[in-house]
Amino acid sequence: MNKPSNVVLLIDDEPKIRRFLRAGFELHGFSVIEAESAADGLKAATFNAPDLIVLDLALPDLHGTEVLDRLRSWSNVPVIILSVVSGEDEKVRLLQSGADDYVVKPFGMAELLARSEAALRRYFKTATENPVVSAGPLSVDLVGRAVSLNKNQIRLTRKEYRLLHILATHVGLVVTHDQLLKEIWSGNQRDNIQYLRILVRKLRQKIETDPNHPRLLVTESGVGYRLQARLEDSSVG
Amino acid sequence: MARRLAKVGARPAGTSTRIAARVRAKLALHRFPQTGVLPLGASLLCVGLVTAGLLLLDQPRALSLAPISYLIPVIIAATQWGIWPATLASIASTGAIDFFFTTPRYSFWIDDPQEVVDLLLFLTVALVSGNLASRLRRETETLRQREKEIAYLYEFSRLLAACFTISDLISAIQNYLSRTLGQQAVFFAATADGRFEPPEAGSVPSVVQESVGSVSATIGTPSHAIIDNSTQNIWLLRTVCSETAVHGLVAVNIGHGSHKVDAKTRRFEAMLEEVSLTLQRLDIEKAMEDARLHLQAQLLRDAFHGTLSHELCSPLAAIQGSASVLETMPLVRQDNRIRSLVEGMSDEVAQLEGFIKNLLSATRVIAGGVIPRLEWADPRDIVNAAVRGRVRRLAAHKVEIEFADDLPLINVDSGLIEESCGQLLENAAKYSPSGSTVSIDTRAEHGRVILSISDQGVGITPDEQQQLGRRSFRSQRHQATIPGSGLGFWIASTFVRANGGTIDISSRGQGQGTKASIALPAPRELTGFSQ
Repeated sequence: MNKPSNVVLLIDDEPKIRRFLRAGFELHGFSVIEAESAADGLKAATFNAPDLIVLDLALPDLHGTEVLDRLRSWSNVPVIILSVVSGEDEKVRLLQSGADDYVVKPFGMAELLARSEAALRRYFKTATENPVVSAGPLSVDLVGRAVSLNKNQIRLTRKEYRLLHILATHVGLVVTHDQLLKEIWSGNQRDNIQYLRILVRKLRQKIETDPNHPRLLVTESGVGYRLQARLEDSSVG
Repeated sequence: MARRLAKVGARPAGTSTRIAARVRAKLALHRFPQTGVLPLGASLLCVGLVTAGLLLLDQPRALSLAPISYLIPVIIAATQWGIWPATLASIASTGAIDFFFTTPRYSFWIDDPQEVVDLLLFLTVALVSGNLASRLRRETETLRQREKEIAYLYEFSRLLAACFTISDLISAIQNYLSRTLGQQAVFFAATADGRFEPPEAGSVPSVVQESVGSVSATIGTPSHAIIDNSTQNIWLLRTVCSETAVHGLVAVNIGHGSHKVDAKTRRFEAMLEEVSLTLQRLDIEKAMEDARLHLQAQLLRDAFHGTLSHELCSPLAAIQGSASVLETMPLVRQDNRIRSLVEGMSDEVAQLEGFIKNLLSATRVIAGGVIPRLEWADPRDIVNAAVRGRVRRLAAHKVEIEFADDLPLINVDSGLIEESCGQLLENAAKYSPSGSTVSIDTRAEHGRVILSISDQGVGITPDEQQQLGRRSFRSQRHQATIPGSGLGFWIASTFVRANGGTIDISSRGQGQGTKASIALPAPRELTGFSQ
């Protein structure tokens, strides 16, 4: 289902990590370019025009954040960050400065592939004709503003739909609290994360089979929310 | 610093003068007998020797030499033995001139009025020069004494400069006192309850013993003097303290001679002044040492974090990643044996990762770095994330999750609470048999949200319950059979406490299962939410 021509650029100084990433991506039909430093990576990003970049934060010559900033100054190519444990603040900062998503080391290949596919889908979305986003049993018609669960139409309030709309346009990718708050409550309630939590709870009651154990609209602790593209993703560690 | 020195210097000086005055008043009656019989006898002997010498000469020459010659024993007595022997020598000399050398000889009668005048003049001159010479002697002695004291103090301050701990200091005081003031100085260390250690029986007189028992160890306790009635000895008692704490009390026997009392009191006070300065220096050094240790702990934590997360997590990430790629390969998926091998790899890596995470958390706690990043969170999200994080660990158990309908949001660091919850789940899985149920129940109660994790496992004995929460505590019962570091519960409870919550562990006893509950404060629910 992936285009065989999708090129992924791996920027990581650890040969062992690059080795399994190459194997994993090639197995799923990507062609892979490797770079072991920030300088090499930036060069490869310019000359090889990759469709996706997987960027490690701890590079010997330049911090990943800086690499991301430089990339973003001239390119919209999807970037997935490889980060180490915890550091919610850093993740949020990276997402705000243009990263599409992140995975935390150690991670499984399935998780990284899911993120990559979601990022690519979003990147190429403008070219596709289909305005309907589906996530498991849920489908959201972004043009007709219609939401259905298992083919049954469901009714959402204006704010609930706004929330689902933002998540659906980023399906499979994490969206930060900040971004959601800004887009849903543009006014004075922007900083109040309690409103967002309550809104998410209400939306879950309408779209989840078991709202107490959400599998579609999942929480990324300390960072934001993610609308899972496929249900089985939620069971991955 | 200068201000501080002045302040410290002022206190003992005032006390010193007061005590000396009090001591002098008590001793006024004992002044005269201080001069012994021996010096008096010696001065008389000198007078006798001069008389014998003059008797060898003829009378007129002897009479003319007498006034000059008799000044010799007077001056000797004055410079050697003080004012009283000198006065005695003056009177004895006058008597001797009168008896042996004035006419008529061998009688106290004097014929020539000129000789009477000469004799009276001699007495006056002898008394005055005796007085002057003895005063000179006293001054010299005082100077010599001062010089000695300064030398002592200098030596003592050198001793103090080498002190690095309070106990060094105490032993320096004891050494110094016993060397310079004799055996009659005793140091009593302060005890935790604000008193002083009772003195050993017999080391000090009973009055002093009683007094030490009644003094409380507080800063600013004044010095006081006690007279031991049986020996007339004076004991000075003074606390040894820095600005922040009382370290002990020194009792010193300063004897009963008036000039010695003054000197000893002075020396004692000067010594204690030095001691309090040194104590201050130690206080400052201790604070600096503490700061240095704190910094080292921080550096260690950072280094540990950096090294662990990079050197250990990178290979781990490579193994985990490679295993996950293998898992997706058709070749592996088709062969059950290979698949189970790969799954085993993943499981082991996950376990290792858990251990490393615990070590990182532990260093974070030890170095005092748990600062919660508070954010409003749904307790459901926290519990679900914790269960998802331990999904492999719980694979052999039946997991039941229940949420109350009216759960409020809580303002916590969800990462920390998730980790605490995960640790408790890990323990539940570890200490209960495969196939049994682990249930998680979340409810709101009296302004708190309570997450309870119950298992059907080995339970906890009352004895073990007491030791829970200690770092690295592991029950003897499971050390050989169940692997673990003993860090889990300690980390969980530290993280929960950092969020203003509490952890409670209860068990109906051995084999009866365990229930661990995290209680977190839940401030009032948000109002004014609009669709």
